[in-house]
Amino acid sequence: MVLVKGIMMIPWLLLVSLFCKSTQDGNGQESGVLHCGAQNLKLTGSDQMILLTWEDTPSCSAVQDVLIYELEVLIADKKEHYDEVAVTPDQVGSTHSWNWTSYLALECASHSVRLRSRYKNHTSQWKQETRPGHETSTTQVYPKGKLFQVGSTATFCCVLPAGEVFGKMSLPEYSSADMNTTRISNQTYALTVHLNQASKYSCTDVKCELIPDVVYGACAYIGNPPNVTDLQCETRDLQSVDCYWTDKDSSLPFKSPTEYHLLGSPTICAKWPETRCSQEVRVDARVRNWTLTASNPLGEVKLSDTADLTERVHMFPPEGVTVLSVNARNVSLDWKWTVQQYYNLSLICQVNIKNTISEHFGVGLNFTVLNDLIPNWTYNVGIRCRTAQHFWKWSSWSTTVNFHTKGDVPDALDVWMQVMDNQIITIWKMPRANQSHGRIEDYEVTWTKTTQRERQNRTKVAPNNYSLVLSLDTTVGYIVTVTARNINGSSSPSTITIPSSNPDGTKVNTSSIIGSNGSFNLSWSASPTASCGYIVDWCPTLGNCTVEWLKVPPNQTNASIFSKNFKDGLRYTLSVYACTRGAPVLLQRREGYVREKKIQDGLFKSVKGQQQDWDYEVSWEPISLREQTAFIQGYVLYCLDNNNNKVINFSTDNPEATSLTARNLKNGSYIFTVKARTAVGECGATSITATLNLLTDNLIGTVFIFLAAVFGLLSLITIVCYRHWTCIKETVYPPIPKPVLTSTGEHGCRHFQVDQCHYSEADITDVPELYCRAGAPINGFVSQENMPFVFSQTPKGYYNQPLKRFTPPPLTLPSTAIPSQPGLPSSPFRREFPNASYNLIMQPGNQQSNFCPELQEATSLERSSDGYQPHDHTETFTTNQTEEDPDSPMSCVSTYILLPQSSSR
Amino acid sequence: MAARRTRGMTGSDLSRATVARATAIAELLRYECSILLELYRKKESFTADVTVTESRLVSVPPPSSQLETRDKLWCLHSALLQCRSFLERAIAKEEEQLGGGKKGDYETQRKMVKERLTILLINTGELLKTAGGVMVLTPSSEGLELDGPTILFELKLWIYRIFEEVDYWTKTAITTLQALPSVIAKERARTTRVRSMRSARR
Repeated sequence: MVLVKGIMMIPWLLLVSLFCKSTQDGNGQESGVLHCGAQNLKLTGSDQMILLTWEDTPSCSAVQDVLIYELEVLIADKKEHYDEVAVTPDQVGSTHSWNWTSYLALECASHSVRLRSRYKNHTSQWKQETRPGHETSTTQVYPKGKLFQVGSTATFCCVLPAGEVFGKMSLPEYSSADMNTTRISNQTYALTVHLNQASKYSCTDVKCELIPDVVYGACAYIGNPPNVTDLQCETRDLQSVDCYWTDKDSSLPFKSPTEYHLLGSPTICAKWPETRCSQEVRVDARVRNWTLTASNPLGEVKLSDTADLTERVHMFPPEGVTVLSVNARNVSLDWKWTVQQYYNLSLICQVNIKNTISEHFGVGLNFTVLNDLIPNWTYNVGIRCRTAQHFWKWSSWSTTVNFHTKGDVPDALDVWMQVMDNQIITIWKMPRANQSHGRIEDYEVTWTKTTQRERQNRTKVAPNNYSLVLSLDTTVGYIVTVTARNINGSSSPSTITIPSSNPDGTKVNTSSIIGSNGSFNLSWSASPTASCGYIVDWCPTLGNCTVEWLKVPPNQTNASIFSKNFKDGLRYTLSVYACTRGAPVLLQRREGYVREKKIQDGLFKSVKGQQQDWDYEVSWEPISLREQTAFIQGYVLYCLDNNNNKVINFSTDNPEATSLTARNLKNGSYIFTVKARTAVGECGATSITATLNLLTDNLIGTVFIFLAAVFGLLSLITIVCYRHWTCIKETVYPPIPKPVLTSTGEHGCRHFQVDQCHYSEADITDVPELYCRAGAPINGFVSQENMPFVFSQTPKGYYNQPLKRFTPPPLTLPSTAIPSQPGLPSSPFRREFPNASYNLIMQPGNQQSNFCPELQEATSLERSSDGYQPHDHTETFTTNQTEEDPDSPMSCVSTYILLPQSSSR
Repeated sequence: MAARRTRGMTGSDLSRATVARATAIAELLRYECSILLELYRKKESFTADVTVTESRLVSVPPPSSQLETRDKLWCLHSALLQCRSFLERAIAKEEEQLGGGKKGDYETQRKMVKERLTILLINTGELLKTAGGVMVLTPSSEGLELDGPTILFELKLWIYRIFEEVDYWTKTAITTLQALPSVIAKERARTTRVRSMRSARR
């Protein structure tokens, strides 16, 4: 049993022992690897880069797989970076290195590197190497004088000795937005800047300012890698290549200027700021790449240009240009080539003479003749050339050479004529320097009648005169010839035929013309007679006329006339003549202004006004041409009413008008202003003031006439009446018979009711009696008691008794009369007793009145003892009394009407 | 010695005109210096009140009212000589280390100051010679620290210091020269008194 157990235990023991064995084996290798690590660590560095080197410990030789080294970088004891380095088994045993560029200069702060190995999840102990920062007794800024590329980010530090107080760090011309200051340690500060500006001067200052104001700093070069463009290569001497380019941003001129190499040559061909260089090559007819390499510490650029240099010959300018022979109108030149090969090239040369360029061709061209020169003229000439076959560039201009041509006879004169009254003015233009070919000594004028050509008259004119006035019979035509003479001889003659002034000659109409841009653009119809062209002449229409002219070739029928003598606002007459074999023929005549000007105020002279009823005519003298600085197209008359400042205007389009009428005006004061209408506006205003008072005058006159007429008529009537008074009296006031009173009782008819008395004239005449009866109300007026309208009388015993005094009062109705009925109309109440002799008039009124007023004072009667009152004293209440019976007493009792007795009775 | 010194100081050649001319030149130099400093500050973005350092580059005995006219002139002339040496060196170093670049207003002004300083030196030299002084630069140019710093920013500060030094000594020159006529007058009077006393003793 025990044996069985023992046999059964054996496999288990074997398994355990195998496990233990394997475990022991593994532990032994593991412990070996774990001892594998770094040794001989060495930390070096410069600028901002640290370099760590180390070796493996001997135990690492057992490593059969990749061994990892872990590295940690600490800046000022702060972990900044982690990295791993893999070491393959075959690298084990060698010296390893690892580098890293810090964002800070190494002088700024201590840089430490910790290192440990890792193998299959087992790591060794950290080993550390430290590179201390720079300790200084004075403040320092790092890095110093380092090169940066524009667009990069840089960190600068300011290390302060103990006791100093940090103020700020900055870069001039950088905004605070581009900069960030941080504190690295107690006495170290860092400034991180995005460098976006190249250094303007030598370098950019990085300043560290302390408190108080002390500045320390460093310089930083900020620039760009080369930026080369536009490379072009050519040859000038056919023995070397010349290349040029542009380089915009190589802005490290002093510290590290960009260097240029051509065709890969190690030799520096040029340094910035040079932008061209040359290198000897064999120039042959084949296309090649011409490469330029530009490099600076920030970068390198290669640029190529592909060209066959024989097609890119940029010649040197001609040398030693010499004038060989000088004549009056031609000259010969020659020159040399500094490059002998040029003599074999087909060349084109340009000669610049007085800004006129002429081209000359030839192989190895070094000689030319210049023709058509002006005699007695100074020239300076420059020459440039190029290859004729392949145009690349012109050479630069040669140095100029001067020469003066020989003199010659003057050119033929430009002659014209002017016929005035009995004078013929021959006029010619002063020869310009390029026409006189030397100093003019005099002019010679000859003339002859067209009919007697054999008889010539001749005279000389001084060189400073350009016209000759001949007092000749202008009814005859003449031929005038003018020549100019200088030291070299006389010019060819210029002839003009003066036409005879025939009063019946053909006349041309004059039309207007307006200039533009200070000149006249004139055109005309072609004339078959114009065999030698046309002549346009012009001069001011008024005043002294110094004629100017222009000759136009036959194929041209228009001309732009310009003269420095043209004045704005001055009218010119322009004439177009046909140039014929004989005398010039006038074709057209125009008048106009080169530029119209506003006519000055006060244009109108002798302005007068005349009122015609309600119209007012303003007139003026005809306007002379002299005062017209523009074409007058019409006139405008403005009437300003001074009362209401209202302006009305009247106008005419007739430029010849000399009056304008303002119509339908009213009384009042007016300012009349007349203006001329022109293309440049209304102008030449002239004003007069006038007052219109027609209505008042007429009214007063009418009134006076009327009054005079009335007065006269009345006077006439008075005279007539006076003279014929008796007759009138007989007619109008026939004798009235003495009334006979027939009343018998005192109270026979004391009260009579007027209303009941409906009399007609006939009635009265026929029935000269008093009717006393009640009747219907008169005119419908009734009393309240429905009584007839009754005049109540209040006699005071005056009935039929003479009155002592009587003052005729107005006839008023007694207040005690019957009151008017309510509702009755208050129309004027008038009652007449139609009678040829009596008119009893009742005063109108609504008031109740006594029909017969109380006669209080009968003065009138008293004064008039006969008791008669004239008939026409209608305003007085009177009783009729005849003259025949002036003493008869008369009672004024209204209830009685004293009627004349009918003759029949 | 005293007699020689007196003769020198009272020499008729030490004329007011020479002093006035030297003063005018110094005043002009001072104006040009101020412009140069302004241009340099603008170019290097220095503020006007930036203190570069408190120590002076030019070493001469401190000015004292107790010094004789000749000694004052000697001190002034010596200081100006050192200024010109520093200025020439500064210009050379600036051209060498910081690049010539374009010739702008600053470069023109710098040249003008140097030339004006030379003219002032000629005038102060004449005055010193008239006053009987010896035109010896103390310390010699070899003794001056003319090399300047190698670090660019410090070189810029050093150049600024030199410009400030020229400005300082120009102001000193004006003060010294303006004080000379009264000194001359007093010393003339004293000389006259000495002569009259001597003649009286005789």
